[in-house]
Amino acid sequence: MSKLIYLVPLFPLLGFLINGLGRKYLSKSLVSIIGSGTILASFIVSLMIFFEVKAPGFAPQVVTLFDFIDVAKLKISFAFQVDQLSALFLLIITGVGFLIHLYSSAYMHEETPPHFARYFAYLNLFVFSMLLLVLGANFVIMFMGWEGVGLCSYLLIGYWFKNDDYNKAAKKAFVMNRIGDLGFLLGIFWMISQFGSTDFSVVFAGADGTPVKILTGITLLLFVGAMGKSAQIPLYTWLPDAMAGPTPVSALIHAATMVTAGIYMIARSNIMYTLSPVTQAVVAITGLATALFAASIALKQNDIKKVLAYSTVSQLGYMFLGLGVGAYTGAVFHVMTHAFFKALLFLGAGSVIHAMHHEQDIRNMGGLKKHLPITHITFLLGCLAIAGIPPLSGFFSKDEILTAAFLKSPVFWVLGVLGALMTAFYMFRLYAMTFLGKFRGTHDQEHHLHESPAAMTIPLVVLALLSVFGGFIGVPEVLMKNGHQLENYLAPVFAQSTAKMHEEHHLSHVMEYMMMFGVAAIILVIIIIAWNKFSRYQKTTAEATGLGRVLENKWYVDEIYDTVISRPLLGFSSFLSKFDKIFIDGIVNGVGRLVQYSSRQLRWIQSGQVGSYILIMVTATILLFIIQFFWKS
Amino acid sequence: MNVIILSAILGVIMMYTGVMSKNKSTARYVATAGILALIGANWLEFAGVNFFNIDTRGMLEFTSFGLVFNLIILVCTLVYFLLSGKDLEEVGANAADYFALIFFILTGIAIVSAFKTMLMLFIGIEIISIPLYILAGSDKKNLRSNEAALKYFLMGSFSTGLMLMGIALLYGATGTFYTDGMYLGLGNITVMKMAGLVLLMISLGFKVSAVPFHFWTPDVYDGSPTVFTSFMATIVKAAFFIAFLLLFENAFGRMHSEWQFAMALITAATLIIGNITAVFQQSVKRMLAYSSIAQAGFMLLAIFALNNIGKQGLILYTAAYSLPTIGIFAVLMRMKDYTYEGFNGFAKHQPLLAALLAVFLFSLAGIPLTGGFFAKYYMLVAAMKNGAMFWLVIIGVCCAAISVYYYFRIIQAMYFREGADPGIQVSEGFKTVLVLTAVLVIILGVHPDWLLHLLDN
Repeated sequence: MSKLIYLVPLFPLLGFLINGLGRKYLSKSLVSIIGSGTILASFIVSLMIFFEVKAPGFAPQVVTLFDFIDVAKLKISFAFQVDQLSALFLLIITGVGFLIHLYSSAYMHEETPPHFARYFAYLNLFVFSMLLLVLGANFVIMFMGWEGVGLCSYLLIGYWFKNDDYNKAAKKAFVMNRIGDLGFLLGIFWMISQFGSTDFSVVFAGADGTPVKILTGITLLLFVGAMGKSAQIPLYTWLPDAMAGPTPVSALIHAATMVTAGIYMIARSNIMYTLSPVTQAVVAITGLATALFAASIALKQNDIKKVLAYSTVSQLGYMFLGLGVGAYTGAVFHVMTHAFFKALLFLGAGSVIHAMHHEQDIRNMGGLKKHLPITHITFLLGCLAIAGIPPLSGFFSKDEILTAAFLKSPVFWVLGVLGALMTAFYMFRLYAMTFLGKFRGTHDQEHHLHESPAAMTIPLVVLALLSVFGGFIGVPEVLMKNGHQLENYLAPVFAQSTAKMHEEHHLSHVMEYMMMFGVAAIILVIIIIAWNKFSRYQKTTAEATGLGRVLENKWYVDEIYDTVISRPLLGFSSFLSKFDKIFIDGIVNGVGRLVQYSSRQLRWIQSGQVGSYILIMVTATILLFIIQFFWKS
Repeated sequence: MNVIILSAILGVIMMYTGVMSKNKSTARYVATAGILALIGANWLEFAGVNFFNIDTRGMLEFTSFGLVFNLIILVCTLVYFLLSGKDLEEVGANAADYFALIFFILTGIAIVSAFKTMLMLFIGIEIISIPLYILAGSDKKNLRSNEAALKYFLMGSFSTGLMLMGIALLYGATGTFYTDGMYLGLGNITVMKMAGLVLLMISLGFKVSAVPFHFWTPDVYDGSPTVFTSFMATIVKAAFFIAFLLLFENAFGRMHSEWQFAMALITAATLIIGNITAVFQQSVKRMLAYSSIAQAGFMLLAIFALNNIGKQGLILYTAAYSLPTIGIFAVLMRMKDYTYEGFNGFAKHQPLLAALLAVFLFSLAGIPLTGGFFAKYYMLVAAMKNGAMFWLVIIGVCCAAISVYYYFRIIQAMYFREGADPGIQVSEGFKTVLVLTAVLVIILGVHPDWLLHLLDN
């Protein structure tokens, strides 16, 4: 079956080509069948591959399709990696991706057929790129997918390209990603010069024994790439702006694809990170800082999608914290559970926005509980899952990361818990303001409130089930013997790292119970506070002051970037542009003018007089004689 | 040998055709059949079948290089006949005679691609030149045509004089006409030999329109009937080059370093003047005249470098330059307006012809995927392999860049300007031949070995 791995990315690629090329001829229903069907087909193949990989005795395989680059000693083949990690990601991407496609077919129904097809073509290309990223058996193929998702996010964020703000958001996402990509690319170059290859097998085998300094350099550069793609400080600002795209796209970017690319890349090259403690510390601190920072911003946002966006940034921070403290399984686990509940929340938000006729401000919502029953209940489950209430999925994955963080340093744990509390607060603020209390929108909006069609609610229900039960594949050892199936499953991928991490001191069971349920209890308290406070929310015109204001303005980070980076850069670039126009263009045009001028002058020699021609020829003859006899070079 | 004799006989046949048949087109059909026969004869000789066993006492030697060159020349002539044969008939009442003259020229070309003595060289060159004087003046009632013929003849005589003088000096110095016998070792270079060499360099430089002996070119090419300009600028020019190369390789190859600098100067001057002057031309026909000078500059690199790559390059260049130029001239002849403006909006009215013209112009400019790219590439590599005088390569590259300007002006006019319908009528046959020519140009640009491997026989 793993020989057929190429089918997995091939289906979405075909879907992209058919929908993209035939967008003027295909009907909307055909487009959505092709768009969703190809992803479903990929999902089925992925599922078969997953079961093959899961079977005991499976050895990781590299399926080479063809030689891609073959220059001197460097050989890069177009090869796919089939192992536990890639199989798991395939399932997440195609599974959640399929649900989002299905949801989109209803959500985007207002679009005209060509644009509808364009949307699905982009969506398929997005999934294709992400699959390429995850499947690549070397860093170059991974980079191709890496660039592909960057491009597709640009295309999809700017999908409504007639709105200039959206275009700006798309550009921002692209530029931020490019900064990260530069780091990634440099990392690959360094890797090539160090290992002479980008194949996972060669690089990871050679990592042990490579000087730590070099490894640190390479891993830091790769991490810069991850910071861009996975929206970590300081390259996170594009993600909240990426809300400009259609809501299912946000779900796709935030849950199944794109932002998890950085996590995947580090999890994939875990041995290199394990061997360079400095990078690990940087990753952990960046992750933690992002988790807290983004969570604090989310506390005061009023746009339903913005809250979720900052929540994604914050959750990604947790994943990086996990990676940084060596809890690779925990990070991947959190990627998976997060994919479930974040997709659920975004699609739920989409359903709300759909019902509210493109209203996104939660101050104008409230009391939607009775109008949108399915959306409400699934959204609530999503909120509980992300807040980490046992036994929902978020509880297990977050707990695993926090426990690992505690083992590294109690400070990490304390800050991590603080972030988790904020998460619970802003999620239930969001929930309460949206679904509880009285409706605060216009009369017109209230009149049109309706539950979304089945194509939208079915994905919600499926995702809600996954969010609730998805955590049971990773039950910690204390609660259940051999409960952590995911760890056993992924063990071969992280085997090298596990062998290196000698300091295996365990917490006492009592301690572990206390941490687990103590935290859960505080979170529950926070939830009740938020619930009470915001279900009675009244619209006020009073402006926030002090810290609240700073948070509302997202710590003024965009403004700081603007002043410190964008403006000086723009100034410098306008200087260069003038330099280019006056000096460089001057040279170029000058050469052109010189040629034209000399051409005009030379024309006069061509007088048409045979006498003068012969005179010149005789002169030239004499000159040639002189050169030949007296001045040979 | 097959081609020399058959083509001379065909010349005579053509003259009789003119007398026997009143129908104009008969001559064209006979001539086309004759060219096909020549191609076959040349191919047979290539395969080792000789119709005539004549002892030339070593005065002629038929090498695969010369035979491949002949093949290209003959194929180009065939394309020329197919594309422009009709226009040739319209120049005057004596179409059959023009065809006869062209066959005589082909005889001369076959001689200069095989000569081993100075005598044969001289005879060959004159057999080519004298019919050209006539062809240049074939439009008898046109003053400019007459002027062109007279100018060409006067200056051609001047260069013939120089050539004879050079040959005489060399004969005096070495006592032989045989180029091999003249092999001049470095030790015994006398003033007489050197003077002979310089005079030959000048006279052949004149024939290939190397700067500063190029002045006749624009005037003659512009004044002659366009159909003959096409022939002169391509097939004949390439023939003079083969003579130039063979002479300097066989007779003066061993003293290469002695004359290389002078040759480099001439080459550089040709490249620069040819390209720069072409820039300002307003008439496409005149631009093509200068472009032929500019392209000659590149071909001179082969003689400057005098190595195997250069020889291969010259073969390639002959095809990659002649075919597109013949194609462009064939279309140009049908235009009323020879200026760039005449091509305005051409693509809208004649999309196929415009696309083909674009391919031809790409080849002349040396854009990849056309034969012109590899032709220029081989020339530059040859000059680089030569080692000395790297500045010549740099000049070559810069000039190739300049040439893009004037070639692309036509493309720009055709595709990006609005213009009236030039109202030209072309037959399906014409289009087919033109398409095939373009295909040939592209094949040369994708797989030049296809032609070059013939040289290995």
